[in-house]
Parts: sequence; C-alpha cells; structure tokens
Amino acid sequence: MEQLLIDYKQILSDYVVNRKEETLYNGQNYVRQLIQKNVAPEDVINIHRKAVEEIYTELPDSLSHAYDFLIEVMVQYGMKTREHQSLLIQKEELRIEMEIAARIQNILLNTTVPKIDQLDIGMISEPIRKMNGDYVHFLFDEEEDYLSIAVADVVGKGVPAALCMSMLKNGLETLEYGNNDPSYILQVLNRIIEKSVDDGMFVSSFYGRYDVNSSILTYGSAGHEPALYFNSKENAFCDLECKGLLLGVMPEVKYSQSNIRLEENDFIMIVTDGVTELRDCDVIDSRNLLKEIAFSIRHLPAQEMCEKIYLELQRLQDYNLEDDFTIVILKK
Amino acid sequence: MKSLLEITINTESDIIAARQIARETSNTIGFDKVDQARIVTAISEIAKNIIMYALVGVITIEILEKDNKKGISIRAIDRGPGIVDIKSVLDESNLKGLGAGLPGVRRLMDSLEIESDVGKGTRVYMEKWLR
Amino acid sequence: MELNIHFRKINNVLSVFIEGEIDTFTAPKLREKLESIVISQERLIELDLSKVTYMDSTGLGVFVALYKNVTRENGNLKLVGLTARIKRLFNITGLSELMNIEVGAKVE
Repeated sequence: MEQLLIDYKQILSDYVVNRKEETLYNGQNYVRQLIQKNVAPEDVINIHRKAVEEIYTELPDSLSHAYDFLIEVMVQYGMKTREHQSLLIQKEELRIEMEIAARIQNILLNTTVPKIDQLDIGMISEPIRKMNGDYVHFLFDEEEDYLSIAVADVVGKGVPAALCMSMLKNGLETLEYGNNDPSYILQVLNRIIEKSVDDGMFVSSFYGRYDVNSSILTYGSAGHEPALYFNSKENAFCDLECKGLLLGVMPEVKYSQSNIRLEENDFIMIVTDGVTELRDCDVIDSRNLLKEIAFSIRHLPAQEMCEKIYLELQRLQDYNLEDDFTIVILKK
Repeated sequence: MKSLLEITINTESDIIAARQIARETSNTIGFDKVDQARIVTAISEIAKNIIMYALVGVITIEILEKDNKKGISIRAIDRGPGIVDIKSVLDESNLKGLGAGLPGVRRLMDSLEIESDVGKGTRVYMEKWLR
Repeated sequence: MELNIHFRKINNVLSVFIEGEIDTFTAPKLREKLESIVISQERLIELDLSKVTYMDSTGLGVFVALYKNVTRENGNLKLVGLTARIKRLFNITGLSELMNIEVGAKVE
C-alpha cells in the first residue's frame, strides 16, 4: 500500500503542475497496479486523500471530513457493485448452460421425416424460445409396413419441459416396434411420465399408427387437440375426436383408440395448441382458419402445406406467435 | 470505556446507534478511517438483516486483545427463522447469498462465522484485527 | 397482462376469485397464491373462473398441481364459472372427467 501511495502521489503532483495528457495517461496506467493488488474502491479514495493531504499541507478540516464521507459511501458502493456483478456473471453462466442444453436437445430430439411411397408426410415444428416444448416422433417399420407418429406437447417451457421430452422420447423408442396399439402405448407413456414429473407438469399427445397396406390410421389421444381429417370426396373437414386424459396427471389411465381409412387425396393434420390457441381469436375460429388455409392449398405436397400454413398464420398474428408451433400432415 | 457493549436491534434508529458505537470503538482501538468505515458497514448490514428477517436481535461489540494485537469482534444473535443452508448464503455465486449480503460483509471483515438452527435463530460472529 | 386473485371464506368454503389472463407470465403468481392455501383447513376450495379472459396450458398446469395436492390431502376442489373456451380446454385434456367442474355464471 505504501508503494502505491508513493507512485500515486508522484503522478498526481505532476499533473497538478503540468496538466499534461501524458500524465493523465500515466494515471490510467497506474490502474493496472490497483487491479493487480486487488485494491478496493474505498482504498483508492484513501490513497487519493493521503496524497492530497501530503501535497497540500494546509487543507481545511472540512475537506478531510468530505473524504471520510466519500470513503463511507465507497465501502457500500464497492460491496453492492460486486454483488451486482456476480449477479450478472451468474446470469451469463445460466445463459451459456441454457444454450448448451438447447443444443443437446436439438440433437437428441431431432426428428427425421421418413419417406414412404404410399404416404406423403410433411412436418413443421418451430419453438417459441430456444427449447421446443413440442416433439414429433416417427417410426417406420419396413418389415411390418406400419408407420407410427407421435405428436407431443409438454406444458411448461424451458429446461424442465426439455427433460420431460427426453423421457418421452426414450419411452417411445423402447415401445415402438411392430404394431403396438396406440391405446397401449399411451397407457405406458402415461405411467412413465406420471412417475417422474412434477405436479404441475404434463404432456398432451396424439399417437397414430398407419397401416401402409390397408391405409387405415389407428389413433388415440391423451388430452391432445383433436386432429383434423380432410375427406376429399366430400370436400369437408372433420375432427378426429378421441377422448383421453393428459399424460402425467393420474397413475393408471386407460386410453381408447379409433380407426379411419384414408382415400386418395385425403389428409390428416395433427397440430399442437400453439397452432389453434391464438390470442384474441377463439379456438373454433382459429381451427376454422386453419381449415380454410389448408383447403386452399390442399393440392400442394404435405411439406409445402405445413410451411405455407405456418407463414400464413404468422402473418395473420403479426409475426407474434406465442407458443411452440407444430403441424404434421399425412396425405395419401 | 467498557470493553463489552450491547445494543438491542429493533428499529432503524437502533442501526444508527450500533453504527455509532462501532465507529467510536474501532476508532479507540486505532483503526484508520477506511477500516472504520468497513467495520461500520459490516455492522450495518448485519443489523439490517436482523430487522428484515428476525425483527429483533442483539448485537454485542467487544474489544479484543491477543499477543499484543488489538481487534474488534461483533456478535449478533436473533431468534428469527434461521438459515437453512448456511453454505449458500455465504456463496457469492449463489442468489441466496446475495440476498442477505453476507459474502460482502465477510470481505469487509477478517473472519465471519454463522451458526443457525432453523426456526430458532441465527448467531453471527465476526472479527477484524488491527494490522 | 393483469391477473387478480381474491380469497373469501364463508362457512368453511374458501372461494378464490380469479380475474384476468392466465398465461406463462401470470401463472407463477397464481401458483404461489394457490400454494398458500392450507388444504386441510378448508371443507371445500372453490375456484371461480368466470372472470378469466384467457388461459393457456400453463394455467392448466397450475390447476392440475392444485388438484393433485387437494386429492392427496383428501380435500375438495371445485371449479366454477368456466367460460365456453376454458371449458373446451378442460374437455379436450380429459380433465373435466376428473375434476369437479361447473359451467357458466354462479348464482350468488
């Protein structure tokens, strides 16, 4: 501390005499010493005060009191600034961790859309934040000629939702072989999720199994928004109603399943509530809107339909969608 | 001057009284203005915590002498809710630590110890020695 | 985006009046308020949702959590005054078959 004072006094007394830019520059370089020795802000004030008192021997007492006051303020200020900085560091650490987690999630939950001759499949899944609370899972069993589709929406966002999603994916991967019934798969998924999640957390899921040979889709729902079915012969949509409780609410839940046969140019649209729960717009209205848009572009390939619908809804909501957004279209 | 001083902390004016006594005591011991300000700031933070979390408590200030060295100790006792996780309140990289300002206080003093029984209260003991 | 929550207790029935929008931003406040209820001390907890103008699935999560707590402690929970839009949400998710729900305005 002694050497610091001597150096400081030298620079300061130079400056009051010559007021040169170079001396100011030296003053700023002096800061390096302060940082190296980890000098607190109040000590810097004290060094200045001692230097001033040594340079000007006849200072009024009141000035000395003023320095006391400044030191007092700086002790508190230094303490609070440090607290504030560690908050910022913490925030930054969280941000980095979040980014890593998001990257891992993207790798883990990456969905590949299978290509099969008998069915045109399109998908879009856009997260509102870094992590997607929606998840789409396909499995095509070439030997058995079954395609299974799971569309899930985890309530809650961010990291907890992502963890829950990974669990769901693991569950799906162990369950999906051959032609398990959707009702059975939902029942097991519910058990897995109910055992491992928090009270306020749950998942809605649509699960379908498409028999490529018979063109029959067998589907079940766990609290999921009804899928839309377009009947091309009648040029009309209808809801694929199928009741079932959300996954993760109760331990033992039974699910039902239904069948529908797809004819040429028929398609099925599975969406998450980010598509139908538009703010300031009734669900019925937004479902009608969705039907209108889909109807107007029904001749396009499934993937293009998904993308067009997304763009159109985004435009209608002033590019301000509020939830993860997922559409899957299965078109014969 | 007695070497042991006790102040009941209940209101904001008690904080000022405790500061005043801490300043006079540390001045008597021979601490310079900067260390006086540090000791007073530490006592101030501890007293604020008492009012905020326990409503009432007692702070004791003592002059220490050991091996020809002089110092000051501050002891704060309350019967408030206590601290569940002491490690985290002393951890600067932890939000809880920042709430009670204890990592900052620890840096102002030479040592800081905390004992706490949840539901029964908290005891804080800190020292600073003259160099 | 405002959310107001008021409690009123008459004859061991705790009525909770919820007013405004329940979404990602307001749900934590609602959760906190509902978690402060000592379930064992209430004969019936009644949530009045007639003044809820918007609710998303995060809001649903808050009610599911409360429902689980209440069931665990053998309490009674009832949701009243649901608007058509909110009722639909409970129907689709299968929760209306599980929880005690009354639609429309409540006669006081």
